[in-house]
Order: sequence, then structure tokens, then C-alpha cells
Amino acid sequence: MNQQPAAQLATQITLDITWHYSATEAMSRFLAGLRERRIEALRCDGCGRRYLPPRPFCGRCCLRMHNWVPVADMGTIEAWTVVHVPVLDSRTGAPRPLPYGMALIRLDGADTTLNHYLDETDPAELCIGARVRAVWRDEVVGAMDDISHFEVLR
Amino acid sequence: MRAVAVVGTGQTRHASRRDDVSQPELVHEAVCAALADAAMTPADVDAVLIGNMELFEGRALPELWVGAGALASGVCDTVLVVGFGKHSEGHTQTGMALTDPFWDRSVASGAVGNFALSVSQYVSERGVTEEQAARVAVKARRNAARNPHAHLQRADLTVEEVLASRVLAHPLHLLDMCPQSDGAAAVVIAAGEIARRHNPRPAWVKATATRHDQCYIGDLDKRLLRMPTLRDAAASAYRQAGIDDPLRDLDVAEIYEPCTYAELAWYEALGFCPDGEAGRLVDSATTEMEGELPVNPSGGVLSTNPVGASGVIRVAEAALQIHGRGGARQVPDVQMALATGYGVYAWADVIVLGDTP
Repeated sequence: MNQQPAAQLATQITLDITWHYSATEAMSRFLAGLRERRIEALRCDGCGRRYLPPRPFCGRCCLRMHNWVPVADMGTIEAWTVVHVPVLDSRTGAPRPLPYGMALIRLDGADTTLNHYLDETDPAELCIGARVRAVWRDEVVGAMDDISHFEVLR
Repeated sequence: MRAVAVVGTGQTRHASRRDDVSQPELVHEAVCAALADAAMTPADVDAVLIGNMELFEGRALPELWVGAGALASGVCDTVLVVGFGKHSEGHTQTGMALTDPFWDRSVASGAVGNFALSVSQYVSERGVTEEQAARVAVKARRNAARNPHAHLQRADLTVEEVLASRVLAHPLHLLDMCPQSDGAAAVVIAAGEIARRHNPRPAWVKATATRHDQCYIGDLDKRLLRMPTLRDAAASAYRQAGIDDPLRDLDVAEIYEPCTYAELAWYEALGFCPDGEAGRLVDSATTEMEGELPVNPSGGVLSTNPVGASGVIRVAEAALQIHGRGGARQVPDVQMALATGYGVYAWADVIVLGDTP
């Protein structure tokens, strides 16, 4: 008996999952600081590196870190781009409007860099070494995006 | 320690969607090809190491490294190493953005944005041009046209077309980036006399090195420029394999280049040229199929990227060059071949294969 091959089927699955994360001690202190628009890093006694995000141990020296040091909400662009592909906004779940500027920023008082958004989307206006200042949201909740973006200073 | 060698390789047809096979069927396709290439049956295999994108393990080579160690120490005689990825059934970009929920998840830029940030530093210090990067894209897709497994095959791609493709994240154009593919790859490694029985030209493992760095991306300064993990791993592997001048001593390289500028940066990190000379190296056609050191005859990650298999593919492609089974992409008389793996700047793997133990 001849049988026709069955049509290939596919299915779509949508997930809506809730996760629970623990911030642990160092990050909890850092996030509490953001609620007061204050940024703090942990400094390693061994190599002197001032780490953002703060974490309990220096990965280079394997030393526990205790010394909190203040960090400014101003810094320098170490790398930049203007992105034209969508990324989801973590607050709304909706795609961010395009294009958007992004940078690796070294905040004054920290030795590591952080990723953040810029208010500038014209490549001709962006360069490594440019100074930037955090623009805080009116309502801060103790999250990294209490800083909505960085303003490029001219 | 016993000598170990890659004796068989197998790959699927790689494509943006393989709706004709499930994930296990995809693995089956690659494994059957590898076992056939090694003239083995499943009963000949002592152990299987399998990895995929989930924990990034198939992308790098630690599973091969562990496999080689088990063989060398005599725990096993034959090991099957498999990497697979079916991106059409996943959310790779979302997955890549699931970084630390307290630190950078809300400001993540995805893989493309992340590369572009590093590229801005690389371009600023090295002065490479968009045209030089585009030449890497042209080379990759042209080579891929000789590789029946490759996902993106374009024998006639031009620099102008690369530059005219849409900008994803300044200065990266669509054609500067790797695709997302469905695919799997498998290699069979065997020890000593078993290796010789199963392949007339085994690809002997001359050196392996893996290096990891700190986990936060902002910890890594000028990551594309400095790439200490790849530089350290390469230095160690070259020492183990007795390589003084990689450009002279290697006959072919299969390197893990997620974007065109990364290939240029890896030329420097791998010692194919001094720092700052990568643009000139690509201009001189040294790394083309007919050049002194062909890089990625397969078309590379730029042409085929089932991420969890991309590291294993590099090893398979380097090995088949030694086996002499490269078909239209075969480089003549390969005695020493390099394969590398890479992940988010924080880690790198280097393996050297040779035609003698």
C-alpha cells in the first residue's frame, strides 16, 4: 500500500517565566546606593583595582575586598557604537527605539568599564575619550537603569 | 602519555533553518558522517563528549581537550566529540543579553553591539579601514563556496557589496558579521595504533591550550586589541608544538572569527603579523587560499555559525586538511594546522594538529 509522506508540522511555544535572583551582599549595597544616586566600587588591597560591578573577590589577586570607594556619575567613553538592530527594553519588554548610541564608559574613580546608552546617535559626534555624565531617572528604584542614559558633554 | 589524533570528521549541511531534522537528528547526521569517515561503528567508541550553545561549551574546545586528555592518559582509546546548535529553534540574541540581572542586563547591547564597541577601539588604535575588513568577508564567503557544508556561499561577493550592506552597529555591516546557523559537527579522536588503523593520515594533536579571564566584560580592557587569553593560549600551544614563526610553520589555520575585524585582530594575537599589520596582511592576500597561510578555507564562522558547533567545526576543518580530505577547499600538502575557539573575549582555545605524532 502506497502512503504519502505526512506533512511536516511545526509548533510555536511562548514562554512567560519568572526567575528569582539573589543580589548578595556587595551588589545589594551598590544597588542601595543607586537609590540615593550614589555609585560605589570595591577596591582590591592587592592590585588596587577599583571594581564595578562590586563583587566579593578580586579575580586577579584572589583576595576578599572590603574597601568601598566613591565613584563619580561622570566618566570617559572608552568605546562606542550606534546600534541599528533592536534590543528589548528590560523595563517595558518592548524593543528600544532605533538607532541608539552605546558606549563602554570608565566612570571617574573606577578601573573597569560599564556598558550604557548614550543620548547621541550620530557617529560623527562620537569619539573615544569624550566625557559623559549620567542622566538619572526622576524615580530611582535601586537598579542599574536608574541611570536612563549618559549625556555626551561638549 | 600516548599520542592522540583526529581520525574522522563529520558535519551536517549547515543552513539558517533545518526544519527537516530535529536536534537529535541533526546530531545523528554529523555523527554518522564522522564515524563513516573514521571507518568505525558506534561500538568502537569508548566515550562521547557533547556540547552546545547552552553553556557555550561546544563553541570552544575544552571538550576536545578533555577528550584528548582521557585518550592520552589511557582511560579511553576512542572518543567521539560532538557540537551542535539549532538556532532556528532558540532565541540566541535574547540568550546573549541574559547577563548579570543587577549589573548589565538592562543595558545589554547583544552580540553585535558588543562587537562593535570593541571594534571602535581596534579601528581607533590600528587604523584598519572598512575596506580591509570587507576583504575578510569576501574571502570567507568565497572560500565557503568551495565547502559543500557551508551556510553562506558567495563566490562572487565584492568589497562594494559588503560596504553597501546595512549597518547593524557602527561600523559593522551585515556582511561583516557571522550568521546564525542550524548545524552539528563531530570528530573522532583515537590513540596511538588505533588512530593509525583508522586513518592513513591521522591529524595528531600536537598542542592544546585553553585560557579564561574574568567574567565581567567591563573587566577586560581593550579586549579586541589585547585579547590576552588568545595571546597566552597561542604562545603556550606554539611552544608545545615547536612553532617559532606561525606564518612560516603553519600550513593552514581555521580560526574562530565572529566578525571581520576579529579576524584581523586574531592575526595579530596569533602572531601571523606584528600588531598593527593585520590590514596589510589581508591586503597582501597572504591568508587567501593561494597565499602563504590560508586562513579559514572552510569559510569560517563568518560563513557558518551553529554556535555550539562552531569550535568543533574549526577542529574538524583543520583535521581534514591534514587528512587530505578537503575536496575543493583542500590546501596542498598540509603538515601543520591550527584551530582556535573563542568566547566573549573572556576565553580562548588553541589547538595545533600535525601529520606526525
